[in-house]
Formats: sequence, C-alpha cells, structure tokens
Amino acid sequence: MISCTDFIPAYSELFKFLDKQGGKAKVVEFWNYLSDNFLGNLRDLAAQHGLRGCWMYWSRTLNEEAADFTMELDDEKGELLFHMRRCPSKGRLLEFKHMTPYPDYCEHCDALYRRVLDPLGLDYRIDLSHCAEARCEGVIRRKKQ
Amino acid sequence: MAREIMRRKASDNVYLHKDFHGALSNGIQFIHEKYGAEAVREYLCQFVAAYYAPLKSEIKRRGLVALKDHFENMYRLEGGIMRLACSEDELRLEVEACPAVTHMRQHGHKVAELFYETTKTVNEALCDGSPFAAELIRYDEGDGHSIQRFYRREKS
Repeated sequence: MISCTDFIPAYSELFKFLDKQGGKAKVVEFWNYLSDNFLGNLRDLAAQHGLRGCWMYWSRTLNEEAADFTMELDDEKGELLFHMRRCPSKGRLLEFKHMTPYPDYCEHCDALYRRVLDPLGLDYRIDLSHCAEARCEGVIRRKKQ
Repeated sequence: MAREIMRRKASDNVYLHKDFHGALSNGIQFIHEKYGAEAVREYLCQFVAAYYAPLKSEIKRRGLVALKDHFENMYRLEGGIMRLACSEDELRLEVEACPAVTHMRQHGHKVAELFYETTKTVNEALCDGSPFAAELIRYDEGDGHSIQRFYRREKS
C-alpha cells in the first residue's frame, strides 16, 4: 500500500510518466478521466446545493489536507473565494530535495474542478501565477441566468 | 447564513486525506487501460525510485528494520491493523484489511484491478538494489488483507 500521505509525490510522478508516454495531451486526458470518474462527491454536492455544496466539499477536503487557507462564501453575491496561502500538495512537493514536481502540476486543479462545475452553472477561476511558491487564489461564481 | 468565512492554518489539522487512495486507484486504472499491466508496474517502479530513494538508502544501511519502521508508521497513520515479525534476515507482516481498500469500498470508489501492485511492485522495487527480496504471499482483493514477506537473498 502507498499511504495517502505519500499520494502527492505518486500523483506528480504519474503526470511525469504519462507525459513521457503521450505528452501533455495524455496528462490532460487523465485529468479529464479523473474529473469524470472520481469527483462524484463534489458533483453531487454542487448539483444539490450550488455554491454552498462547493463550500461543503472544500470544507472537508482542505481540512483533511491540512491546508493553510481562507475560504469565503457570499451567497447573496453568488461567490465563493478561496485564498491558498500554502497549498498542501505543491508545498509538500517543493519541500522534497530528492525529487522535482511535474512542471505543470498545479494545472490539474483547474482542469479537474472546472470540468465538474461549469456544466452546473458555476464559473471556476483560479490564478496560478504564484504556484511556484505554493500559493494560489480563485473564485467560483454563480453564472448569470 | 449569507456570508461565511473559514480560516485555517496548516497546524490546525492532521494531514490525512484518505480520498487520495481513490485518486491513485483511478491513476492505476487509467494506465492499465491505456498502456497495459506492465506499464502500471513501470510507473510504480519509477515512483519508488524517485520518492522512496531515502528509504531505499536506509534499507541498504540499516536492513529490514528500516522497512519495519516504515510499515509501522504507515499503518499507524492510516489506522490499519497489522502483525509484524522482524529478524535480521526476514520481515513478515500480515495486514488485516488494507486501509486504502477499506476506505475506497466504504466510499463507493472503484478499486482498480491492479491495485494490489501498490503492495507487490512497490515492495519489490523497495528491495531492488538491496540484499533483500519481497514476496506477496497472500492478497485478498475484497478487503486487501495481505501477507507480505521480505527476506535476505541467497548469496550467489
């Protein structure tokens, strides 16, 4: 068994392996596959509760991942903001001295979550310009009818 | 409630997100479907060589006790029940139910057909280049119950 605490390096190495096999396109294909086959929990919560469903989903996962973050839900405005001061995944990868992360590692978040939320009327945007320091911020907005 | 804010520091929580087991299982299934079973083993060997390089060095330096420490720590973190017997020449562990498989079954995640390779191939790759070898004596696909053995290779 690979411990779930060792998953992030396994994930990064998986991207490297797929990139070597079929280029970045194969990595993106995997992200789409994972989004379709694995994120049923987020899909169900967002379909049932909208933005609040996203809040419920990330309230659990980010706490289990021991992330350093602020999340803000404004129901009236139709916005969920998140500010990741230290991403637990990228931060962990940057700590390792004996291995390097997949160069486009952080793009998986954009690919996985947008694919789930967009068809449900939720616009997912993430700013990855500081991902080299394991920081990012984003917003999910209810699309106007 | 119209507006809610959640602020957390990393130190507020323990790092343990078991859903990751399901994501890894999907990764294994994807490689299997696209490139076949040998590619799954190749990927896992690549992962072990890269990530577990420090552990592999420890196995060469300290012997099987390094693996014993690794497994004790891992199953304690994951809440798995296992029995372990270790000597200089042999390490044998019996895992009652694999915590990864248990979590996936409980949460309706599909367990990849080759998920057992995360035990078999990973153990073999950990021993690669050391005086030891690994053997998966038993693996129950239902709950991941396993008997794993590491032993000193005979000198040729």
